[in-house]
Amino acid sequence: MTAESQRRRAFWQILLFSAGLLVLTVISAGSVYLVNKARDDSKWVVHTIEVENQINALLLEIRRAESGARGYLLTQGAGFKVDHEKAVAAIVPSLDRLTRLIGDNPAQRESIEKLSAAIETRLGQFAQEMDFIRQGEPEKATALVREIASTDATAAIGKVATGMIEEEERLFRLRTANSDRSQSLAASMTGIGSGLVVLLALISIWLVRRSAMARDEAEARLRDANVNLEAIVDERTADLREANNEIQRFAYIVSHDLRSPLVNIMGFTSELEELGGDIFRRIGGLTHAAAGGPPPAAGEIALEGPDQQLSADFSEALGFIKSSIAKMDRLISAILNLTREGRREFQPEKIDTRELIEAIVSTLAHQAVEAQAEIQVAPLPNLVSDRLALEQIFSNLIDNAIKYLRPGVPGEIRIGGRTKLGYAIFAISDNGRGIDAKDHQRIFDLFRRAGTQDKPGQGIGLAHVRALVRRLGGTMSVSSELNAGSTFTITLPITWNASNRNADQ
Amino acid sequence: MTQPVSIIMIEDDEGHARLIERNIRRSGVNNEIITFATGTDAMKHLFGADGSGLVQKGNALLILLDLNLPDMTGIDILRQIKENKYLKASPVVVLTTTDDSQEIKRCYELGCNVYITKPVNYENFANAIRQLGLFFSVIQVPPAAP
Repeated sequence: MTAESQRRRAFWQILLFSAGLLVLTVISAGSVYLVNKARDDSKWVVHTIEVENQINALLLEIRRAESGARGYLLTQGAGFKVDHEKAVAAIVPSLDRLTRLIGDNPAQRESIEKLSAAIETRLGQFAQEMDFIRQGEPEKATALVREIASTDATAAIGKVATGMIEEEERLFRLRTANSDRSQSLAASMTGIGSGLVVLLALISIWLVRRSAMARDEAEARLRDANVNLEAIVDERTADLREANNEIQRFAYIVSHDLRSPLVNIMGFTSELEELGGDIFRRIGGLTHAAAGGPPPAAGEIALEGPDQQLSADFSEALGFIKSSIAKMDRLISAILNLTREGRREFQPEKIDTRELIEAIVSTLAHQAVEAQAEIQVAPLPNLVSDRLALEQIFSNLIDNAIKYLRPGVPGEIRIGGRTKLGYAIFAISDNGRGIDAKDHQRIFDLFRRAGTQDKPGQGIGLAHVRALVRRLGGTMSVSSELNAGSTFTITLPITWNASNRNADQ
Repeated sequence: MTQPVSIIMIEDDEGHARLIERNIRRSGVNNEIITFATGTDAMKHLFGADGSGLVQKGNALLILLDLNLPDMTGIDILRQIKENKYLKASPVVVLTTTDDSQEIKRCYELGCNVYITKPVNYENFANAIRQLGLFFSVIQVPPAAP
């Protein structure tokens, strides 16, 4: 899985989550709003009904007052008078309540003003009626009633009240419809929102499952890759080991087989030398005999002139051949030793490094004194490693340090050590002639040397040391400047075991 | 009667063979020297056509053996000689360029009597061979098993 697609997936998931949250919020807010609205609408519906009731109640009270007044007028019964007075007393509060209730509606307010005026007129007429009856003039009262019936106050009350009821009924229908709409809107909103949330949840689940599957797949691939990688590493290691062994065998066979003809060359050169000796002795004898001298004693034949020159040339040629052969033999032996060293099994053991180095220093004490060199050994970390290999490494380096001092300058050779992260780091430094930077790599090559060639040597030591250090699982390096001394640094594992570097075995 | 000892030299390098022979002669040994350049020829001579070694029954032999032969290894020849009842009593001198301690040990384990490394230094080489000649003159080479 690429990082890009991973990012995209995460983005989609966050987006989905936000969308879900948003939908939920909208649904909640909408629901709250719609429920409130529905409640308001309901309240208005109830309010309308109340207003209607109140109008009806008012009309009822007026009718009761009317009928009470008429009853009293006809019968003079006290009960009718009480009824009439109760009804009249209830009219004004009832009217007040109605006025309060319809305070919100300007059209109704206008109507109520008309209604109030009519009712006032009507109440005045009632009072007049009752006065006439009380003064014992029922005829006047009857006449008044008749007159009133023809006036428009009563008609106005009926008309206005009917108008108001009609208006309220219209409002009732309107408000009921409003309320219904709000409720169905709330219901559908909740329904759609729930559906959306469920859909988003499903998409999320699908996404999560898909990414889980992708992760499983990636894990499986990673596992496969790891297994593969290990197999590849094993394979390469085996190849390298095989190649290394091949090189070892090759070097061994080559150096060994090179030696065989060398034995012949050396053998027959020696034979030739002897033959040459015989020939020149013979020539000497013949020369002497020709000169008439006494036969010479064996072994002391003096050649003369050109013969002597011939003999000298002959010996010189053979001398070069022999010294070359001897040199070649040394080189071959060195290669043989190196390859043998490469095949030797290391035996790790606990080593007191300081003791080991002091032993080396004491064996080199003679050379050190000759070179006027002082060797200082600082405290050194101990190791578990191969003793012989360590001895060879340090004796080569210390020997080199003594060998390549500056003539006339007292030598100072210091050997120090420290540990770092499971490795011991040794430094062998001198104030000798130093090594030119361009030769830093070269000096580790087999048969290569650097600087003035005034000391005997084959160019093997450092190559050998580096091979050993590598086999011990370490590294080595040099820092040096011409005429400013050299420091060879060796890093070795504190505890060597065969698994550190078993490729050579 | 004592039969003269035959020296069987198995050496693929003609030059080496010649140098060895010369130095043996110089040390005063005059026994017959039979030289083989390949392992196969030497085996045929030592073990006969049937490979049983019967042909050498009763012969006193001294075998000079080089370990590096073109067709087979000297180690194999040594093992077969030491496993054959007619030949196992014959002294075997291994003469080779290798001074690998492992190989020397192996040869002695297989029953080689003397192991000599051919040094490039001719003086040493000649000395070694001459001493071998001395060795020839003092050892009693037993006849192969009757």
